[in-house]
Amino acid sequence: MGFLVTTLIFVVVGVVASLCARICCDVGPSTNLLRLTLIVTAISCCWMMWAIVYLAQMKPLIVPILSEGE
Amino acid sequence: MGGCCPPMDLMRSEPMQLVQLIIPIESAHLTVSYLGDLGLLQFKDLNADKSPFQRTYAAQIKKCAEMARKLRFFKEQMNKAGITPSIKSISRADTNVDDLEIKLGELEAELVEINANGEKLQRAYSELMESKIVLQKVGDFFHVAQSRATARQREIESESTGEDSIDTPLLRDQEMAADPSKQIKLGFLCGLVPREKSMAFERILFRATRGNVFLKQTEVEEPVVDPASREKVEKNVFLVFYSGERAKNKILKICDAFAANRYSFNEDLGKQSQVISEVQRSLTELKTTIDAGLVHRGNLLQTIGEQFEQWNQLVRKEKAIYHTLNMLSLDVTKKCLVSEGWCPVFATKQIQDALQRAAFDSNAQVGAIIQVLQTKEMPPTYFQTNKFTSAFQEIVDAYGVAKYQEANPGVYTIVTFPFLFAVMFGDWGHGICLLLATLVFLVREKKLSGQKLGDITEMIFGGRYVILMMALFSIYTGLIYNEFFSVPFELFGPSAYACRDLDCKDATTVGLIKVRDAYPFGVDPVWHGTRTELPFLNSLKMKMSILLGVAQMNLGIILSYFNAKFFKNGVNIWFQFIPQMIFLNSLFGYLSLLIIVKWATGSQADLYHVMIYMFLSPTEDLGENRLFPGQDKLQLVLLLLALVSVPWMLLPKPFLLKKQHEERHQGHSYTQLETTEESFQVEQSHDSHGHEEFQFSEVFVHQLIHTIEFVLGAVSNTASYLRLWALSLAHSELSSVFYEKVLMLAWGFNNLIILIVGIIVFIAATVGVLLVMETLSAFLHALRLHWVEFQNKFYEGDGYKFFPFSFVVIGDEDE
Repeated sequence: MGFLVTTLIFVVVGVVASLCARICCDVGPSTNLLRLTLIVTAISCCWMMWAIVYLAQMKPLIVPILSEGE
Repeated sequence: MGGCCPPMDLMRSEPMQLVQLIIPIESAHLTVSYLGDLGLLQFKDLNADKSPFQRTYAAQIKKCAEMARKLRFFKEQMNKAGITPSIKSISRADTNVDDLEIKLGELEAELVEINANGEKLQRAYSELMESKIVLQKVGDFFHVAQSRATARQREIESESTGEDSIDTPLLRDQEMAADPSKQIKLGFLCGLVPREKSMAFERILFRATRGNVFLKQTEVEEPVVDPASREKVEKNVFLVFYSGERAKNKILKICDAFAANRYSFNEDLGKQSQVISEVQRSLTELKTTIDAGLVHRGNLLQTIGEQFEQWNQLVRKEKAIYHTLNMLSLDVTKKCLVSEGWCPVFATKQIQDALQRAAFDSNAQVGAIIQVLQTKEMPPTYFQTNKFTSAFQEIVDAYGVAKYQEANPGVYTIVTFPFLFAVMFGDWGHGICLLLATLVFLVREKKLSGQKLGDITEMIFGGRYVILMMALFSIYTGLIYNEFFSVPFELFGPSAYACRDLDCKDATTVGLIKVRDAYPFGVDPVWHGTRTELPFLNSLKMKMSILLGVAQMNLGIILSYFNAKFFKNGVNIWFQFIPQMIFLNSLFGYLSLLIIVKWATGSQADLYHVMIYMFLSPTEDLGENRLFPGQDKLQLVLLLLALVSVPWMLLPKPFLLKKQHEERHQGHSYTQLETTEESFQVEQSHDSHGHEEFQFSEVFVHQLIHTIEFVLGAVSNTASYLRLWALSLAHSELSSVFYEKVLMLAWGFNNLIILIVGIIVFIAATVGVLLVMETLSAFLHALRLHWVEFQNKFYEGDGYKFFPFSFVVIGDEDE
């Protein structure tokens, strides 16, 4: 689906999650900021892991060699 | 974190202030009680140099300890009687402590008396039982012996002309009408002896009296309750005939030594049945008395049980209040108590309300005064956590409590700790198991939080939200690694690889080729089980570990920037933060860049070679290891930057600190006079620092150590993140082995029993090794990565925690 498209999907999910958190339970500015930070951190970590695995498989240097009896 | 946004919750400690409370004596007790309910003030011990006996309220504490002892005695008695105190006790109106003391005293006296009486009655009952047995057995014996004797007598009489009547008793003491001198004066003793000692008893009797006794023993069929020990013991009835005073004394002493209870026996046949019926009557009477006594005791304990919890709480509260009151210092006028304590700034209003209420409720003439003190002392650190964040905060605090108002790593730990755990644990099947396990705890949260759990269960329950996050992230990373109990699935589309030719004959020699775009989400499912799986995955995971590690370390250094900005420490920003960022990123940030470029371009450059030769021969041509144009120049620039940043970190800061110190203390050649204020004792603790010494050599060495630690640590910490790769590899290999060599092997036999055995072994191995051991292992390593590699970039952690005086805490302590 392409690197950029999926990255955009992650961004959209992050924005939606933060908006949901703000809309459904608004608990004061300092706690809101904490929640936003946590959501952004979580989305960043998840995106980083996905991106690393995707990039590693974009132009691979070795190919799978099946073992005997597969 | 900046001027743009409000301060973030949990990021820094709540602002704390030192307050001084002046409380009139008559409302002191109530004030402390209300403050304890509030739970937001940490009292300082102003009487630290006094021993517990010198303190003002030592007598009251002793009273409370006495009451606590009485309550413990009641609890013990209730446990013995099998009564449990009701959890929700009927809360009568606030019982006065003095009344309670009197009441407890009365109840204790009554209970002790009932117990003593009960003991006595039980003992008497047992003795009567034994007496009854003795009467029966010995009576039988005498009866049998007499009938034999009369039969013999009759025989003798039938042979000769006997003058004695049949009724002549066999044995009688000196009251025989016939020739006294010819009478053998035999006496007898009877009683019970424990069966195990009976042989020894017989032997010693025999030896002591030189064989001049006649002993008869019979066993008692059922065990008898011994009056002294109150246990059931097997006993024998013994009957010993002796002659002479001396023998009698010896036998008495031997009986005492063997704890053989003696009972009297009247050989008069007619009286025997009378005696037995009397004994029986006494027994029944005693039984009813004992039963009545037990019922009375039961009722008493029941009434105690209803109010036990409430009394217990009250006594504990009183004790806590008096301990706190002991920490306050008595003013010279003896009319008020002075106390100092730490409280959060936001709680000032609440504390003032509590003080006013206490003054009003105790009808004091003067209200309490609260004033804020200025001090140079470091306040305690207070984070307002809820049930979700408290577990993560505890993890951080276990290493060191944050210094007052420094950045709290706990904020990021809430996400990064479960994430790094999941990187090492990645298997969405195992993740689902963990999720189900923790959901059990979460669903029954309310019920379990009131119960008393075992040690390990308590720990798991306390960390239930941590485990929840760990499980959720594990499911995500499991989907990325594409492992469900080590089995890959094609969930996100077809695999990117296919055979070269239609008949796939090259698949096991040269391998497949990439026919489509990369698999959209995660590791391609075709890799599992191939011969090149490990080289591919190892390369991927090692590079991933480096990238994640460099990212987390950069976050740490950025947090140190925010700390420096908050504490307005410009020196730290220019001469610590910036050179540290430059050093780390020109080396390991550059390595991360190379990794990403290599992946993006598919180049075959050898990154080890590039990095090592960047240092060894920076001017050499890169040749086929070139990844992008201008790389040579960039490497030279980065190398120079890294070399420059080391003295940048080391040298300027000590000199600047020295200059700052001199500027601060320029006009302070004279020391100030000590001003005397009301709270004389208090002054000592405040001005502890007074005139600081500035040792240049010390500061320089400190900076040198810090620099070396950072420079060497940059390499070692980055390498340390490779444990993410190592544990992830171990987990996936173990999982693969259990699946293939246990489950698939058992499946291959086509036998139901072997399959069931295989499934059981697979489940046991998965739970024991993967779900328990691997979880603990990954937990520990993720924790280490946070405590060492992340926190040593910015965290000082030498603060102390805020422990307010609160009754909630006390309730848990005592159990």
